[in-house]
Amino acid sequence: MKLEQDQIKKIGIAAGAFLALLYVYFAFLLGPLQEDEHKSVTGIATLEPEIANAKAQIARTADLELKAPAATAFLERLRNTIPDGAPIAWFPPKMAAFFKSRGIEKSTTHMVSESDDAMPGFRKIVWSIDLPKVEFIPLGLAISTLENNEPLLNILSVTVDAIREDAQYQHATLVLSTLVKS
Amino acid sequence: MPLHFNLYHEVQRQELARKRDPLRLGTIGILVISIGFVLNYFVDLERAHVIGIHYSAVNDQWSRIQPRAKAAKARQDELNAEIAASDAMIKSVDSRFYWAPVLDQILKAVPRSVQLTHISAEAPNGADVLSTTISISGISSAVEPRKEAEAVRIALNNRLGSQFKHVTSVFKDLDDSDQFVTLDGRRLATATFSLEFQIQVRDPEVAAQPATAARKSKTSDAE
Repeated sequence: MKLEQDQIKKIGIAAGAFLALLYVYFAFLLGPLQEDEHKSVTGIATLEPEIANAKAQIARTADLELKAPAATAFLERLRNTIPDGAPIAWFPPKMAAFFKSRGIEKSTTHMVSESDDAMPGFRKIVWSIDLPKVEFIPLGLAISTLENNEPLLNILSVTVDAIREDAQYQHATLVLSTLVKS
Repeated sequence: MPLHFNLYHEVQRQELARKRDPLRLGTIGILVISIGFVLNYFVDLERAHVIGIHYSAVNDQWSRIQPRAKAAKARQDELNAEIAASDAMIKSVDSRFYWAPVLDQILKAVPRSVQLTHISAEAPNGADVLSTTISISGISSAVEPRKEAEAVRIALNNRLGSQFKHVTSVFKDLDDSDQFVTLDGRRLATATFSLEFQIQVRDPEVAAQPATAARKSKTSDAE
């Protein structure tokens, strides 16, 4: 069948219209729609693992929150044993009372130095305790009790000298550090 | 056979030409394809809408959960720091040097015939310090006071050795004295002495030997 000139023109118009339709459909309708869909799918794929991680994080923290009180109870208990106020005001009287309760009547406590401790929230204070007249056995027992009852206290050095005039007694000096709230 | 005259042939030809009109056929084809496209568009639109709703829900969930997760992370860090501090405190308390057992051993090791005039000792200061020194001075009284002082050194060495891993002791001084003492009605000669005890209070931390070095030493041992 031979196409006439008029028919060829019409076929050309129809083909042009078809191409225009394709362009409009893909460029202005389906294209943006698929782009939006792709963005949503990518967003979902990104956010879902993030949400899962966030949920896991919340669960981990909740679990830790349950376990933490037991784990930190020791530190909390120790912190609660430290009196409030300036250590120079409460520590020397505390030591004097302690040694007195152990039969050592005279004791003098001096602050030697003060520094920040590696432990956050604590300061370290070094004290020197002079016990001018003490017997060896009560001294040993007092040191033992001190070490057992005061976990924040660390005896750094012990010096015991015999008293020439009275062989029964010794002169002892303890240098110790203790942690206080900063 | 009857004769058949088609008087409408011109009309029929025109009707056929109209039916075969490419513009008409093309328009019909475009219409059909357009309808197909429109249907496909609506299907895609519906799918995109469903995905969009899901995305919006996920986004909402994320914006709700994100601040909670951030707060949870901060709280976790805080709790971990508290737990670490508590652990460090326990370690610090446990690693203290206890003096009472040392004084107890000194008390048990020194006999009546020996009087200690001076004891001094310092706790190991710092985690990397492994040993400490105890200095003891005294007066021993016996028929042979030097032997008595040596007996005290050995006794103390043994007693401290039972508590600590490695103990060494040396006399810094041991001198006869011209003074005499009376003990249990007997007049005894005296000697003054100074002892120094080195006590290892902690084990050294053994660093892992590099594999090549270990191999090399093995080879040289074999040689």
